[in-house]
Amino acid sequence: MKKYLFGIVATLMMWVAGSAQAEVDAKAAQKFVEDVTTQGIEQIINANVSQAEKDKRFEKLFNSALDLDFIGKFVLGRNWRSATPEQRKAFIKVYRELNIKTWSKRFDEFKGKSFTFVGTTPSSSKGQVYVDSTVDMGEGKPVTVKWRVRQEGSEYKIVDIVIENVSLAITARNEYSGFIKNNPGGVDALIKDLQNKVNQA
Amino acid sequence: MIRKSVLCTALALVMSLTTSCASNNAKDDQHIDEDRFETYNRAMFKFNYRFDKYVLRPVAEGYRSVTNEFTRERVNSAISNIREPISVGNHLLQGNIKQTGVGVARFGINSTLGLLGMFDVAEGWGLKKEETEFDVTLANWCVPDGPFIILPFMGPSTPRAAIGDVVDVFMNPVYWGTYNDANIRDKVMYSYAAIYAIALREQNLELLDDLERGSVDFYATMRSAYLQNRKSLGCHAKDDQSYDFDFGMDDEEQTFDEMED
Repeated sequence: MKKYLFGIVATLMMWVAGSAQAEVDAKAAQKFVEDVTTQGIEQIINANVSQAEKDKRFEKLFNSALDLDFIGKFVLGRNWRSATPEQRKAFIKVYRELNIKTWSKRFDEFKGKSFTFVGTTPSSSKGQVYVDSTVDMGEGKPVTVKWRVRQEGSEYKIVDIVIENVSLAITARNEYSGFIKNNPGGVDALIKDLQNKVNQA
Repeated sequence: MIRKSVLCTALALVMSLTTSCASNNAKDDQHIDEDRFETYNRAMFKFNYRFDKYVLRPVAEGYRSVTNEFTRERVNSAISNIREPISVGNHLLQGNIKQTGVGVARFGINSTLGLLGMFDVAEGWGLKKEETEFDVTLANWCVPDGPFIILPFMGPSTPRAAIGDVVDVFMNPVYWGTYNDANIRDKVMYSYAAIYAIALREQNLELLDDLERGSVDFYATMRSAYLQNRKSLGCHAKDDQSYDFDFGMDDEEQTFDEMED
């Protein structure tokens, strides 16, 4: 019975949060994502510069467009709460490095492709909105890419990317909680393993 | 006759799943990482991983090294054409008459003018490919997914996905095209399955490498992505946006407890 009540309260809270998100400027959020992808394609993928310069530009764009502190906190889930300030800091740092390394490598695959922006959809979270886009892969149906954007004042940050219904944040969260569950070393072991991944990449 | 009995078994399985899973379906939806056979699954995942590492992956790499991109594209296109009747049958079962017609036309055109499907001529005529399968049909009929299972050699699956795969085999021309001679059929089916597996693995060489390289728990990553993607299928897809979890940090304690218990 308690559980049902909790469910009802949670649903109500979602509704309230949902109606409160009118404050998000969806148009501006879309423009923000469009600018980020244009920058990525024009100044990194299609730019005639060395790989080192490309990596540097990618890191800069990545740090300015994504709110890694916010994402990292979500990704660590309930382990975030039990983590010490040092662990939190170390985790965010290594999570950031790993993402920059993996994504700068994969980035070139977007060569010759472009995003078509098709509008926005509301999110259940306060101050957030989805910017919807598709990428034509040459054959078959285009791939859907949803950008979860968070607004703070007049500033916008990407907090998740949902590709074909697969959320990168949820995937990472499930991966890390799976790791911690099966590993007596806990968060420290996770940080160490991630650091190894960064060094190998 | 055999075909009929297998089909009946499959349908019976579907029916029993529908009734047994219906009651706790709502709960499953909120637990994206629910995995009640995790111990078995991880063991089977490891087995598949080894099989891939020592057999499938090297063969796929070998295949890539002895062919050029043009050749591989012809092979992939031909396989896709062989599978077209699967989409046709399922579009029909899903009541999508227009796409059924498009599929029939595509199969006819590409099998002849497209040189046994090696070239997608129909696409140029505005007949766009739209793949579907029996798993999607079942999802549209609101058949629940059932628990996550790693199948030997086949990888991530669920009871519904597995039944879908079995039924799709019957719609595959490699099966019904050789139905008259069981001896020939076995040979053709095994050869087709082998080529299909190698071609598919070749197409995903980089993707899977990248996924694994960035992951501290490859099994958990793969499971999460697989299950999230499946939520987009079927009759509940529109109102089930599993990716839209509450991402606000104001009530973080609640959110965390809710998502992981």
